[in-house]
Amino acid sequence: MKATLLGLWLMWLSAHACAATTLVINAALDRDVVAPLLDAFSHANPDIELIYHDGSTLEVERQLQAGTRQSADIVLSSAMPWQLAAVNANRAQALDIPEAAEWPAWAKWRDEVFGFTFEPIVIAYRLELAHAMRPPETHRDVLALLHAHRTLLRGRVTTYSPERSGVGYTLFQQDARYSPRFWDLVAALGAADVSLEATSRNMLEGLSAGRYWLGYNLLGSYALVWAREHPDIIVQVPSDYSLVLMRMAFVTRDAPHPEAARRFMAFLLGHAGQHVMAGQTPLFSVRPDVTGPYTAQRLRDQVGDHLYPIPIDASLLAFVDPLRRDAFMARWLRELKILDDGTTTQ
Amino acid sequence: MIVIEQSLRRRLLLWLAAVTLVFGVALLIEAYVSARRAADRTFDGLLDSASLTIGEAIQWQDGKPLVAMPSAALQILATPSQERVFYALFGANGETVTANAALPISDAMRRAAHAGPVYADITHDSVRLRIEGREIDSAGWETREPVQIWVAHTRGGREALIRALMERAALRFIVMALLAAALVWLAVRTSLAPLERIRQLLRARTPDDLRPLAVSVPLELKELVIALDQLLERQRASHDRLMRFIADASHQLKTPLAGLQSTSELALRSTDAADWHQALVEVNHGARRSARLAQQLLSLARLDHRHDEAFVVLDLVTLARARLIDWIGRAASQAHDLGFDGPNQPVMVRAIAWQLEEFLNNALDNALRYTPPDSAITVGVVTTAQQVTLFVEDDGAGVDEALLPRLAMPFERAGRQDTTGSGLGLAIAASVATHHNAELAITRAGVGGLRVALHFKRERLL
Amino acid sequence: MLARATARALAPLGHITDVLMRGHDARHALQEGGFDLVLLDLGLPDVEGLELLRELRSRGDNTPVLILTARDSVDDRVRGLDLGADDYLAKPFQIAELEARVRALLRRSQQRTSDALCLGTLHFNIRTVSATLDGAALELPRRELHLLESLLSQAGQLVTRETLEARLFGFDAVGPNALDVYVSRLRKRLEGHGLRIRTVRGLGYLLEEFTP
Repeated sequence: MKATLLGLWLMWLSAHACAATTLVINAALDRDVVAPLLDAFSHANPDIELIYHDGSTLEVERQLQAGTRQSADIVLSSAMPWQLAAVNANRAQALDIPEAAEWPAWAKWRDEVFGFTFEPIVIAYRLELAHAMRPPETHRDVLALLHAHRTLLRGRVTTYSPERSGVGYTLFQQDARYSPRFWDLVAALGAADVSLEATSRNMLEGLSAGRYWLGYNLLGSYALVWAREHPDIIVQVPSDYSLVLMRMAFVTRDAPHPEAARRFMAFLLGHAGQHVMAGQTPLFSVRPDVTGPYTAQRLRDQVGDHLYPIPIDASLLAFVDPLRRDAFMARWLRELKILDDGTTTQ
Repeated sequence: MIVIEQSLRRRLLLWLAAVTLVFGVALLIEAYVSARRAADRTFDGLLDSASLTIGEAIQWQDGKPLVAMPSAALQILATPSQERVFYALFGANGETVTANAALPISDAMRRAAHAGPVYADITHDSVRLRIEGREIDSAGWETREPVQIWVAHTRGGREALIRALMERAALRFIVMALLAAALVWLAVRTSLAPLERIRQLLRARTPDDLRPLAVSVPLELKELVIALDQLLERQRASHDRLMRFIADASHQLKTPLAGLQSTSELALRSTDAADWHQALVEVNHGARRSARLAQQLLSLARLDHRHDEAFVVLDLVTLARARLIDWIGRAASQAHDLGFDGPNQPVMVRAIAWQLEEFLNNALDNALRYTPPDSAITVGVVTTAQQVTLFVEDDGAGVDEALLPRLAMPFERAGRQDTTGSGLGLAIAASVATHHNAELAITRAGVGGLRVALHFKRERLL
Repeated sequence: MLARATARALAPLGHITDVLMRGHDARHALQEGGFDLVLLDLGLPDVEGLELLRELRSRGDNTPVLILTARDSVDDRVRGLDLGADDYLAKPFQIAELEARVRALLRRSQQRTSDALCLGTLHFNIRTVSATLDGAALELPRRELHLLESLLSQAGQLVTRETLEARLFGFDAVGPNALDVYVSRLRKRLEGHGLRIRTVRGLGYLLEEFTP
């Protein structure tokens, strides 16, 4: 009798230990993509109960600003300008762990926010496109195809909606910075009656379903995994330049569970987390000392040195300036219709 | 008595420490102020660039300023120190054109920005920021309205720069202070070395080695060595004097003692009562001489070796009269005509009574010894505007003028060897004079004999 | 040796001398009393000489005391006189000096007990105010008698001009030489009788025995 009681007591203790603390993560990252990462963390830290809220990039940003969701310990998002704005607005705390200090300087800001993935932006197309024309390898190729095969591609082109996707908006802003011909591309997309999607997954599904032949500015992490399972989809890392998106993580200033948050960040930025990321998720690891199929180093080896990570610095703040955003969107809409008008007048 | 004060080295180092502390604090304050100014100047330039870059991006559309916030401006503003950046643009009527934060910009600051760029330190969201505001007159097709651009960033880079500059200043200062301390230590060591040499020289001396110091010393110690040499010189002179005195004294004592011995021996050999009587007369004479000599030697020794006696104010007339009356009672004065010559009212001087009495005793004794019976001996006190004189004079044969100066020297009788005097009386008088800072004048008296006078300077009087 | 010499010197004058070498013995002897004169040497081996003097005077004993001291410092002298010593003599001294002092002291002590003042062959009766010299009556005017009495009462000691003038003339205004005139008259009368009046210029006169 005595022994049974003792056993129960121990069980209760261990169960309690399991849920010693919780950790709330707000993320704009599909849970199934990062599942291996979260599982590995939970396995290593059984005393931390993870509460994971998923949402689109803009949702996460809105929640952060409004503070509607129960205050999070960690915010993960690929909406880089908004993450940086949050940090600039003093909503993050500096992280003084060795992993943070060792993190490459180009992938962090103020030791408060860290770009923990390395995701190339890619072009994806169906095999049919390759049969009908020479498939695009560069941004120029996309523009040329849109001009050359305008009728064939009409309605079969997709890309991000800058209005509904923070990632899309960021990518287009960045594109506009790199090439003045970007707006020609936008005009050509408009002329091809481009379909604007909110997520890369939607675009990939449209491609698989045959609705779209060509997808522009997809997240490479999703597209590469998708292409492996869907042989009719081909993923091309642009060979002129390829933007690289980084998901950014920070610990909130008023994190209710700061210790757990620090441990999660140490895991995320440390060798273990990055190793899981490189091996078990399509989120390329940033750390140069991590090996696996999905690492920044390996990507660089494959596609050469024309990878252009979106810089994590104050310049991103300009993108979230409402005036600039309004101006950009106004131009976007104008450019999107320019050639339409042209054809109708023609 | 030797009072050991604090060590020189320690005192100098303490002074240095105090000076260093004061200067150090002042220097560090100055360093901080100038470091801050330098940092602000450097970083304020970046604020300038950022605000000007933003200014260039302003365009007018539909009568409203439109700004495509330039990424470059924000990057400049962030600086390599990754400052957090803030900006706010205001229209002509103070309305916000665009901003990424509600910065606490007062109306006064906005008014000041009309005139030119304004820099200020503000606190936003409990973080200290450096802010700059400037007004841009933008030229558009429809409007020409000013736009105020305010840019701000955190002070991390500035503080880091100030810290770095301060650390360097502090380091420089510490090195300087340590160098100064080492120098002082060395300086004290080297400058005390001559003192050490002198100490060793003095210590190595035998008690009777009173030669001048043969040592090379720096200019600053010249006076000390001269003073030491003078002290040694005085010691030597005093020593020599003492040795001479002892030699004289023993000679003087030996003479009557030898006389006593030989006379008594001769008398013991004789059986004639007349010889005995003659011998006894001589023995008596020799004994008296010896006794008197011993007393005077004691007197002189006492005068020479007691320097701690207190001077009191006393009446010279009373003292002189009392001495004279005392002598009148003595058998030795029966045959002489004694007299007193002085004022009827007191004459006060600061003096040591027993020494003046000693003076009078010896001068009177001398006068009684060296003058024939019925000679007049006068003790007197004379006051003039400049001095007070205590004198003893006689109308005896006197002394040859040429010999007068030698009278005050011990065992000098100026040729009057025939008498029972010891030759110490006037030496005692001279010593008394020295003690009283008075002048001893041994002159021919107006009445023909010797005059021994003590002239007290008036400032010794009350 | 000094004590012995002293005792021998005093014997011819008709005195009997007790020599006490230790202060302790001297104290006992003094307590017994019966001395005409005490010669007190301040350098006694076991007792402070001045202490003995203090004890003596505190008992009301007026025996004349002559202090013998090697320390002729003012302090000792003054203290000794303050404590009631009658005279002092510094060592070394001549026997003749001692004799004179002893004689003077004894004379004064005797005068305290009789009406007669004596010096050598001169006798002066204070009560009858009359003097005899060598047994013969000495006829003198009143002022000269007063002068003689004044000098005789302090025979061997100086009597100042001021004292004598006050005694002779009272408050009468007299010339500066008036006293000298009386003194020289008196001096003539005493001439040839082993007595003389010594003039101390500027101070006064003293009457003493004199052997030419």
